[in-house]
Amino acid sequence: MEKIVLPDIKDLHLIDVYIKNNGFNAVKKALLQKPDDIIDQVKRSGLRGRGGAAFSTGLKWSFMPKTTDKPKYLCVNGDESEPGSFKDRQIFEYNPHQLIEGILITCYAIGAKTAYVYIRGEYHKWIKLFQKALDDAYSQGYVGKGMKTKFQTDFFCDIYVHKGAGAYICGEESSLMNSLEGKRGYPRVKPPFPAQFGLWGCPTTINNVETITNVPAIINNGWEWFSKIGEPKHPGTILYGISGHVNKPGVYELPSGMLLTDLIYNYAGGVPGNKKILCVIPGGSSMPPLRGDKIEGVKMDAESLKAVGTSIGTGGIIVMDEDTDLVKVLARIAKFYYHESCGQCTPCREGTGWMLKILNRILNNEGSSKDLDLLISVASNIEGNTICALGEAAAWPVKFMVQRFRDYFEKRVSPEVLIPVANKVHSMRHTAFPIADIKE
Amino acid sequence: MPKLVVDGKEIEFKQGQTIIEAAKEAGNTIPHFCWHPSLSVSGNCRVCLVEVEKMPKLVIACSTLAAEGMIVHTASEKALAARNAVMEFLLINHPLDCPICDEAGECKLQDYAYAHGVGESRFVEEKTHKDKRVPLGPNIMFDGDRCISCSRCIRFCDEIAGAPELTFVKRGDRVTIVTYPGRQLENPYAMNVVDICPVGALTNRDFRFKARVWDMSANKTICQGCSRGCNIELWVRNNEILRITPRQNDEVNSYWMCDHGRLNTFKFVNADDRVDGPYLRREGSLAKVGWDEAFAAAASELKQFNKNEIAFIGSAFASCEDNYMLREFALNVIGSRHIDFMRHSDSNFGDEILRKNDITPNTMGAELVGVTPAAGGLNFDGIINSINEGKIKALYLIEDDILSANPELENTLAKLNLFIVHSSNFNKTTTLADIVFPAAAYAEKNGTMVNFQGRIQRLMPAVATLEQDRSLDGMAMSRLDKFGTRFDRWAKGNKRDVRPTWKIILSLSAAAGYKLIRQAQANMAEDIFEIMSKKIDAFKGLDYDKIGEKGIMLKIDVAEKA
Repeated sequence: MEKIVLPDIKDLHLIDVYIKNNGFNAVKKALLQKPDDIIDQVKRSGLRGRGGAAFSTGLKWSFMPKTTDKPKYLCVNGDESEPGSFKDRQIFEYNPHQLIEGILITCYAIGAKTAYVYIRGEYHKWIKLFQKALDDAYSQGYVGKGMKTKFQTDFFCDIYVHKGAGAYICGEESSLMNSLEGKRGYPRVKPPFPAQFGLWGCPTTINNVETITNVPAIINNGWEWFSKIGEPKHPGTILYGISGHVNKPGVYELPSGMLLTDLIYNYAGGVPGNKKILCVIPGGSSMPPLRGDKIEGVKMDAESLKAVGTSIGTGGIIVMDEDTDLVKVLARIAKFYYHESCGQCTPCREGTGWMLKILNRILNNEGSSKDLDLLISVASNIEGNTICALGEAAAWPVKFMVQRFRDYFEKRVSPEVLIPVANKVHSMRHTAFPIADIKE
Repeated sequence: MPKLVVDGKEIEFKQGQTIIEAAKEAGNTIPHFCWHPSLSVSGNCRVCLVEVEKMPKLVIACSTLAAEGMIVHTASEKALAARNAVMEFLLINHPLDCPICDEAGECKLQDYAYAHGVGESRFVEEKTHKDKRVPLGPNIMFDGDRCISCSRCIRFCDEIAGAPELTFVKRGDRVTIVTYPGRQLENPYAMNVVDICPVGALTNRDFRFKARVWDMSANKTICQGCSRGCNIELWVRNNEILRITPRQNDEVNSYWMCDHGRLNTFKFVNADDRVDGPYLRREGSLAKVGWDEAFAAAASELKQFNKNEIAFIGSAFASCEDNYMLREFALNVIGSRHIDFMRHSDSNFGDEILRKNDITPNTMGAELVGVTPAAGGLNFDGIINSINEGKIKALYLIEDDILSANPELENTLAKLNLFIVHSSNFNKTTTLADIVFPAAAYAEKNGTMVNFQGRIQRLMPAVATLEQDRSLDGMAMSRLDKFGTRFDRWAKGNKRDVRPTWKIILSLSAAAGYKLIRQAQANMAEDIFEIMSKKIDAFKGLDYDKIGEKGIMLKIDVAEKA
């Protein structure tokens, strides 16, 4: 199987090696075609976004207005802050020039003169690595004004690296743009969507790092070639990031639609100690978890996962064995979203803290069966009522973990309804009668 | 016009209007916290979530554009469930301190909790804690616990006041509001954030803990701070003004007023130095006398002078009615041609938002009613010069502390043989007066004023006087006013012995033997206005009802007047 995004070529991150291996030929080829033709090829290839929503990339590009007096922008989302997701940094480290080439082609296709690569602030190392690659590409004339002579064309574009300041929410496309503009990382109310009102109010396309890195291969090998890889409805390869209780955790580039069990047992080397799998989260911590006894035959692509009530997300697979404390896991996930909720809109701001408090109570053996219903209710009240998808990201793990592992959670809570003692004392504190004298 | 359906009712909308705007115009106000008609849309409170047919998810009415044929349900099962959910989220960490919260009674959260809350709490955890009693600036106190992070105050400072002083910091349920480092919330319009804060997070440091809102009455009138004439409400308890809030008038002040107007234009009404009853100078000092004695004294003193020795000074702080009666008195009773008024301007006061350099509320009104020199008469400077030259020996001044405004006038005024002053408070000018009549302050009378735009607006009383009863004269009443007894601490109130200037002048002319107005029924300011409306072209066809609560533009050339 040919690898598209992370080919097994030694030192591919060096620009000379990249050029020797057919590098920057796709952009040469693209610049000879009309931008609309590029968009059309990407659309036909079936490439879908790798950032989580799996939206058709070519379709997204086609939303960009053809006539506008404003500048257009491309944002490349390398914020990669979803727990369980660690694929984009492999690209920054091992194949940065293909990302750069993808950016050039995308800019040409959508008519952008400027691209921003927004990289997660904690990725100090990868920011340096990518900046080095970008500097090399600039100095050899593959990016910036040098493109005019290099490619014998009028088109050129600039690429800037922007370092995030450490907020999960800035991986959300509209808060990423606010962050880029120097504002607080608050998601924007949509509509208007970025293609109409993006960076500085100008038409903007925003794509994930992995998505863009696929583009040169599509231009080189044709959309038909790409569309035949993996599952037809979600073609191409996926960088599966497998972590948790597996013998060989890591990033595996394989076609879409791989069997989840195949990935875990054949590629990631199975579970240490041959333990049973209790739970698998297939696409980063915000996606609905699957029960270990329900993963047989589950294929890893957007449509197949949707059918079993979860989602491909970023392809970050988290495996948990039978000895895992799921309440602890869920409390930790809830703590993450509580910590990262931007606090802009009410349901997420207030709800994430509430869910965490309930879960912590259950962890301390002070939970009741009613609390499980409450958790599901609170999560459902957040879901769909927020400005951005962090609402769902925070609500889904709680809602689906409790729903799908109800038996597990029931064992951890008291069957009776606990009335918190604090409240009892509070209500009695100001009565004139001794508590014992009050009859029921 | 395109139409959409909200709750089964077809309503028209203008292209570009959002659902909440279209519904509001049709009289259906969709619950909201963060949305404000004159601020940008932020969409953060999520209370205005409504169901729109054919849309997969609920949408927020404040940011969703109305579209032809759209079918909106604001009270469907799904919409109500979402609203209840959001209300629950807002309330879980909100302190239950309504009994000691200044906002109680006019709190959006409280109102909606009654209307849309589920009535019981499922929240048994400890509430979050944030900073309380944070002074954000000289006039505003912040309570982080109560804040619902709607960002109205931040947007107000950015968008209306043009002074970005506030911002959010932190994330999640730790989000709170601070001023930027080294800055304070102290722009000239800062206190509007108190009004637009939907909860009790931002409170007025001048007013906080003074009164429960339901114990006060609110009367509509206009601000006296400058020639803008912002529409305001005077909040009164126990016959004492406790605060001023702006009143919406899109033609004049939108929803806002400046802090100067809010803080500095009502305290003199409550002050201890009010002139309470008429005063005559006896043996060098002013002594309180009865009204009849004061009128008789003033009438006989005025008769000592030749008509050309008496000058009149009206006031841009007094109403049109007051100024008009002064003019009538000067020209028709005394026969003097020397009448004018003092202009007050402060080139540092005005701005591009509301404030105007003319710091008086009724310059244009005084001019329109003819408080300007009659043919051959002296203007203000001429009057001052003539006093210095000894040609003018008596001066009749209403409602203007000209000596404080121009301390150089002291020697001039000291030369006068007779100085009659109408004043609401004792001040520098009254120290030189021979007769002081107690003038009702703007908050104690009906009347009209004309702002810089040429818009005539009504003053309406909020404070009762000895001759003006709160209930009989139709002022707004608080619960204490309606149901309090005379034993209640807050239902007595100090009623002062003051009268509006026009009324004093009418009585004075009667005492002098002149019937200034033929109609004996000139009992109310409205009657004076009726006479004016017949004699003054600009007021033709107008009456108090037509002027209404929001005023009306006069058909005059403002540029020429200015």
